Amino acid sequence: MGATMSDDASGARRFRRTLAAVMLVQVATLCALWLLQWTFSA
Amino acid sequence: MHPLNWAIVVGWLAYVVVHGIRRSTGTKQIEGYFLANRSLPWWAVGLSVMATQLSAVTMIGTTGQGATDGMRFVQFYFGLPLAMVILGVTLVPFLHGSGVYTAYEFLERRFDAKTRSLTAFLFLVSRAMSCGTIISAPAVVFSAIFGWSIAWSVAIIGVPAVLYTMIGGVQAVTWVDVKQMMLIVTAIVAVTITLLVQIPVSPSDALHIAGATGRLRVFDFSFSLTNTYTFWSGVIGGTFLMLSYFGTDQSQVQRYLAAKSVDEARSSLLISAYWKIPLQAMVLLIGVLVFVFYQFERPPLLFNPAHERRVRAEQPAVYGSLESRYAADVAARDVAARAVAQARDHGSDADAAAAMDRYRAQQAGVDTVRTEALALAERVTGQPSKDVNYIIPRYVLDHLPIGLAGLFIAAVIAAAMNAISGELNSLSTATVIDFYRRWVRPVASDEHFMIVSRAATGLWGIFACIIATYAVNLGSLIEVVNRFGSFFYGSILGVFLLSMIPRARASGAFVGLLAGMAAVGAVNFGAPSVSFLWHNVVGAVTVVVVGMIISAAGRVGGGAGPTPARV
Repeated sequence: MGATMSDDASGARRFRRTLAAVMLVQVATLCALWLLQWTFSA
Repeated sequence: MHPLNWAIVVGWLAYVVVHGIRRSTGTKQIEGYFLANRSLPWWAVGLSVMATQLSAVTMIGTTGQGATDGMRFVQFYFGLPLAMVILGVTLVPFLHGSGVYTAYEFLERRFDAKTRSLTAFLFLVSRAMSCGTIISAPAVVFSAIFGWSIAWSVAIIGVPAVLYTMIGGVQAVTWVDVKQMMLIVTAIVAVTITLLVQIPVSPSDALHIAGATGRLRVFDFSFSLTNTYTFWSGVIGGTFLMLSYFGTDQSQVQRYLAAKSVDEARSSLLISAYWKIPLQAMVLLIGVLVFVFYQFERPPLLFNPAHERRVRAEQPAVYGSLESRYAADVAARDVAARAVAQARDHGSDADAAAAMDRYRAQQAGVDTVRTEALALAERVTGQPSKDVNYIIPRYVLDHLPIGLAGLFIAAVIAAAMNAISGELNSLSTATVIDFYRRWVRPVASDEHFMIVSRAATGLWGIFACIIATYAVNLGSLIEVVNRFGSFFYGSILGVFLLSMIPRARASGAFVGLLAGMAAVGAVNFGAPSVSFLWHNVVGAVTVVVVGMIISAAGRVGGGAGPTPARV
């Protein structure tokens, strides 16, 4: 039982880390697309 | 096409069939055939999920859209990362943890058999028709370009996919998807590099020329219920659409049910969250670069060769006159585009701005002649021109180096096969698990279920190929089916959302599902201009609200159904 809870906690921690990374990549992608529009559509 | 290009296409088709069949180990039981014994690594599942959504329409239609309309289509996917994260926390643990074969099987455990059967039936109807259209779209293009019959084009795309899916099940589908995704990404990168080399101005000048025509305008922050491609439609409507697609559609759910664990299933979805928007932007950028390429190379007046031949034969004088005007306008635009690059590199800001204005005026002239030619083609052929779907294939065949053209055509066929194989596999699963084993033959040997499963895959494959062959004549019927599909996508999501609310009951789920579809139908007929992205929001919200009211009324009236089974 203890091992299961530990696995759950580690899985949840990994998921939170991945979630933060996904959001970071999305913000970077949107910034890159905004920069593309701003630089070349003026 | 050059024989070397054909050799690449034929070689790739042979390779994927052999590879798919060789990877079909452990498929003697239905758990192996449908779920790979829940043993697949997250990265293979993730690539397979991406491959299933990336059809040939993406390779030829979306790139064409980039050439004519620019980058704004990418906003459609802005809700995807958020949807993947929400699914990772909510539905994925429920579905994977419950040990089901299909998403709809989960609904019977949580609610009742009629909710399961209705949702599975709606899935079968819509996916079978969409599978036909997925084959039909590239088959029509290949038919027009290579002069093949539609049946032959359908067979080239459909037969290899049906073959390896039928024999190898989900293992074959997944591992072939992985290989084909590598081919597709290689082709996309190779074509992008080739275009940058072929365009006779610097990449910066090329992008300025594209930007001058609005093709690099990605963001539209206006709030409109009728415009599909805005930031808000993408973020709000797109999130609901992606939640429906990835969370409740068996063609997607089956992929991550085959993962080793809940964590691996979640991680597989996050591959799409990471890569979908950059990949889609890259696909659209190819279209934008092809547009720039044709500023310096004379493009055909009509890209669809079949339409071009017919218009030239039936209206030679009118078409000849349009061609003369087009040639003059394109030549003038070429000079104006080169002047933009020259002014940007060596002139003042004022020179560059003036050159840009002259270029825009020339581009408007070219657009006017093209619009007239497209209208003429529609009048002569009696068909919508759909010229946008022929822009990239014509560029590939006319201007890509030998070898690379074959690689790109193989990638288009690969994309079509990926989408078909995933859908056939899921159609077969829902047929066998949700109907045959549930209602006809609950107990039988694995050998028996394997024979039925392979037969179901083959029969759905034949059905999809027949629909694809006659899709040109069934146009309005397919539109009706697709419209019908949008009625229940969000509603099915609503049922799954209800399944996670402990107080929701079976009667609430079933009545809510019907109410959700009715609400979407009312919006569709009452306000037809509302974008289909919002249908999912309306459907899901209606199901949850009505479902909870009915569930509460059942409890107050003492007529509560059985306590929901634990999942």
